[in-house]
Amino acid sequence: MAETKNKKGEYVLECHGISKAFGGTQALKDVDLFVRPGEVHALLGENGAGKSTLMKCIIGLHKQDEGTIEFEGKPYSVKGPVEALKAGISMIHQELNPEPHLSIAETIFLKRENTKGGIFLDKKAQNERAEAILKQFGFPHSAKTLMQDLTLAQMQMVEIIKAVSCDSRLIIMDEPTSSLDSEETEHLFRTIRELKAKGVAIIYISHRMEEIFEICDHVSIFRDGTYVGERSMEGVTRDELISMMVGRKVENVFPKTDCEIGDVVFKVEGLTGKGFENISFEVRKGEILGISGLVGSGRSETMRAIFGMDPIKSGKMYLDGKEITIKKPSQAIKAGICMVNEDRKSFGLALHRSIRENMALATLPTAQKGLLLDKKKEETNCVEMGKLLSLKAASIEHEALSLSGGNQQKVVIAKWLLANPKVLILDEPTRGVDVGAKSEIHNLMCEFAAKGMAVIMISSELPEVMGMSDRILVYHEGKINGEVQRSEILNGNENQETILERAFGGK
Amino acid sequence: MKKKLLSVLLCAAMATTMVVGCGAKEEEAPAASAPAAGETKEEAADAAKAGDVNGDGKIIVGYISKNIVDPFHAPINDYAEETFEAMKAEGKIDDWTGVLDGETDPNKQIDRATDCISKNCDYVIILPAEAAASDTAVTQMNDAGIKVIVVNSKTTSTDDVALGYVGPDDVEAGRMLANWVIENNPEGGKYIHCQGVIGNSAQIQRGEGMAEVMASHPEFEMVGESACEWQADKAANAASDAISKYGDELVAVICDNDDMSSAAQKTCNDAGRSDITCVGVDGNQNPLQMVKDGEMGATVLQDGPGQVGGAVTMIEACLAGETPEKEIMVPFVLVTKDNVDQYLK
Amino acid sequence: MAKNGEKVLGIEKDKFRAFMGKYGISVILFFMMIIIGIVEPAFRSANNMINVATQVSINAMIAFGVCLALTTEGIDLSVGAQLALVSCILGHTIVNLGWGIPAAIIVALAVSTAWGVLNGYMIAKFDMFPFVVTLSTQLIIRGLAQVISGGKAIPITNDAFKKIYSMKIGPLPFPILVLILVTVVMYILLHWTKLGRYIFAVGDNVNAAIASGVSVMQTKLAVYALSGFLAGVAGIIFTAKTGSAQSNIGVGYETDAIAACVLGGTSFSGGIATIPGVVIGIFIIGFIYNGMNMIGIDSYYQSMTKGAVIILAILFDKIMNKK
Repeated sequence: MAETKNKKGEYVLECHGISKAFGGTQALKDVDLFVRPGEVHALLGENGAGKSTLMKCIIGLHKQDEGTIEFEGKPYSVKGPVEALKAGISMIHQELNPEPHLSIAETIFLKRENTKGGIFLDKKAQNERAEAILKQFGFPHSAKTLMQDLTLAQMQMVEIIKAVSCDSRLIIMDEPTSSLDSEETEHLFRTIRELKAKGVAIIYISHRMEEIFEICDHVSIFRDGTYVGERSMEGVTRDELISMMVGRKVENVFPKTDCEIGDVVFKVEGLTGKGFENISFEVRKGEILGISGLVGSGRSETMRAIFGMDPIKSGKMYLDGKEITIKKPSQAIKAGICMVNEDRKSFGLALHRSIRENMALATLPTAQKGLLLDKKKEETNCVEMGKLLSLKAASIEHEALSLSGGNQQKVVIAKWLLANPKVLILDEPTRGVDVGAKSEIHNLMCEFAAKGMAVIMISSELPEVMGMSDRILVYHEGKINGEVQRSEILNGNENQETILERAFGGK
Repeated sequence: MKKKLLSVLLCAAMATTMVVGCGAKEEEAPAASAPAAGETKEEAADAAKAGDVNGDGKIIVGYISKNIVDPFHAPINDYAEETFEAMKAEGKIDDWTGVLDGETDPNKQIDRATDCISKNCDYVIILPAEAAASDTAVTQMNDAGIKVIVVNSKTTSTDDVALGYVGPDDVEAGRMLANWVIENNPEGGKYIHCQGVIGNSAQIQRGEGMAEVMASHPEFEMVGESACEWQADKAANAASDAISKYGDELVAVICDNDDMSSAAQKTCNDAGRSDITCVGVDGNQNPLQMVKDGEMGATVLQDGPGQVGGAVTMIEACLAGETPEKEIMVPFVLVTKDNVDQYLK
Repeated sequence: MAKNGEKVLGIEKDKFRAFMGKYGISVILFFMMIIIGIVEPAFRSANNMINVATQVSINAMIAFGVCLALTTEGIDLSVGAQLALVSCILGHTIVNLGWGIPAAIIVALAVSTAWGVLNGYMIAKFDMFPFVVTLSTQLIIRGLAQVISGGKAIPITNDAFKKIYSMKIGPLPFPILVLILVTVVMYILLHWTKLGRYIFAVGDNVNAAIASGVSVMQTKLAVYALSGFLAGVAGIIFTAKTGSAQSNIGVGYETDAIAACVLGGTSFSGGIATIPGVVIGIFIIGFIYNGMNMIGIDSYYQSMTKGAVIILAILFDKIMNKK
């Protein structure tokens, strides 16, 4: 690569020897990055490998301690995202936080509003301009629509449209598909290809290998704040990338083991609520039941209702053959049904409290000595759980906030394991979790099943559902549209396409 | 023996401190040797000046104000500050606490009283916030051996335990209010009464005096008593309500203080009813200015600083080894256009 | 290797942070006491220390209640008015109705607790803003106090009742014993019981708490009921102290209580608080009052000084916590 580094003009963005330390922590160490015009350039690395820090240096949220950045052949240094945008670089963040009360037009023109005489907003002109841009992208809403009325995917599209309308020549996308379903992802990819054709370069950060193989041209790999290297996507194998990323070989991508499947533990009949209707299924001891379908097809809604987070209109639930009613989570927990929510930050953790308090929260009623908490037992439990889940934390007294995404997820799982559940529902258990932790979580699921727990897993990643489940239920518009057995996948009767077809209402 | 040794050690420590140069630390001695009881007492007695109540060789005066925000109390507090600073400079007293803020809150006044006890005060002047509730402050200090002088209004046990009381004759003030109204409205008519905080001795006694005079004047009819809590804006509201309700029949607004009467008068004047006689007690600067400008007929001046002055004469008497008077009544003055310049600063 | 180095440093940094987070504010209290003690030796006497502890007992009761409310991401502005209501109930029952002291106290505490429950119910059930709810009930509660007392002061001459404030057990006045007892109970409650954990969880992330089976309703009811009860205790001490039942007392008392909580590291956004921290905050406020009077700082400057000291103390704490 060294010989190409010096050719001016070949790259739209060149980062040379970037280093950045926070206090005593070296987040980036002598990192390079070269992006060609009109390419989709993937950044790959475990969480904490330094990808985000580098991106923040590029858009001016951080200032690198050492190293230089050149954009379009000229030295480049900005003080923040607004300046970066002006220079031609924009970033679509993983967690979008738009102002919900702004319209699409207002969002697109935020901080560069159309004005009359420099003071008064010219809303009409602004709306017209926005409308025109939206039309180019075939966006299905009017420019006056409020951001809060859009889906996540649409909000993201608005961000992309905004970037393009600012004449960005480089767009950074941080995990753009993490909250999109397959259809929306496809739409995003179409847009990315169009942008590519226009000569816009894209830096694409993702943990999803399939996507990187599908859309990207080159990939740069990071590990522990260092730059491992760049590869062309042509000819590189998945295993090679993973071993570059983790510095070791990850043998089996999905570690599903076959374990003995026992009696029916949990059964629902004709369950109806907001977003789903007439859902019936059962799950057995030792079984991993996968649930697939598009986001918004009623998967999470069903599980939330079963767990008592949302009301049920009609239908019956049976646990160990006996009918149960669940109106609130505490009842579900008591009965032995626990749920790891898809939104870890909103529903999983009290981030400012310690790991210990978070782990113990759901099982406090059973962890008391008289009126007081049995803190000794609690500590033993938590330390044990930490070991079992190989939690990476300096101490269980640290704030949950200090953990990485994967370790936070482990704390949530630990909380439910302490409750000794019969049925464990996992909603997107590996979202935003790096590759290493992901396979650890997969291993754990197998262990739980082997111990006789019934595991229900919702996932938007088809390979994950297919690789991990004994049986898959496919949702389509609030109803179950087909059931797929593991044997059918193994013998090739069912594959990604057939499941996707069901999810779109086919078969 | 041990105690003697201890006191010697303490004295040595004190001397060292002084040699080192922290001259201001003289207070350390009494504070430290006080618990050493018996043996040291004689020495202390030798040094004791006349009027040194707690016998620690120093005369410290405490001053607990009612509050530091009310326009009536500001000149009183200023007077106290000037007087005590002067006495300190002359060497009549060794120290004083400064103006302690009572925040018009008996709870805070009791806390300030304990602070005075901690500071080993000999005399404390207190202007009570409440008759019953602030009484604990007085009794507490009395129990600690402090001579307490109550100023401005009495607390429940003032007569029993305090060294003395200096205050206005509020009943007389009430009479003066009523007489001024009668004088200005010979034909009589309707009037309202804006009261201070109910239960306060000034409020009760001023009301008494007023009622006493009015009882013999049937041509006057009281049509409303509102609890305005000494507050100007509440009195102004009461006045405007009365004007709209009784119209020309309303001839006077009698207020328990002149913050209220000046506000009421201003409301009446603004409503084109400068004929209504508003009058109150205190002699604050704003009402005095109104009297001077002819916007208000009169106000009844309470000589606040004079009351503290009375308390100071009591302390001075004690310091001179004499027995002070038990109660001093400071007279009120009716201030009109003729004599206003005398009191307006 | 590099990772290892960071980790070690990370732990050290965290340890320092944890230490300052826990004890930073006590360092401030310590220096404050030393400075006041140097300027005014009488400040150092055991008697004065007992005085301050007695003086702060009223604010302490209120502050503990407010601390609980703050920790659940709420606030209780009705505490000052509760003081007045309890005072008037005591005055009315003991003086006008001739009740025995225990009965009067039980009724007064029951009423203040009931108001707390009502606050909590409205906040939890209808998801109303605690600020608005308690701002409104505060008016109703003070109004009730005025109705009961007829706006007049009711002097309570009953010596046995006044003893509640002045009685000494050993060298310690009764209010200090109450303060110690309540502090211990509150410490256990917040740091050693299920309810305490629920309070933290609800305050930090209410959704996560619900999803973990915590009843927000019960937690908030308990919090505001406790706040009401503690305000009631404060009201009893207050009334015994002044020997007079009045409806105009306790105005603005929530300010000192909130200041004490904030000094003690209670977070306004909920989920973070410690009882030792609040106790230290309470004493800092107490020493500001007492110290300034002992030193003889002009009253006109005391209010400014108080505000400045609070801000500086919090700022100092923040800076120590950051680095």
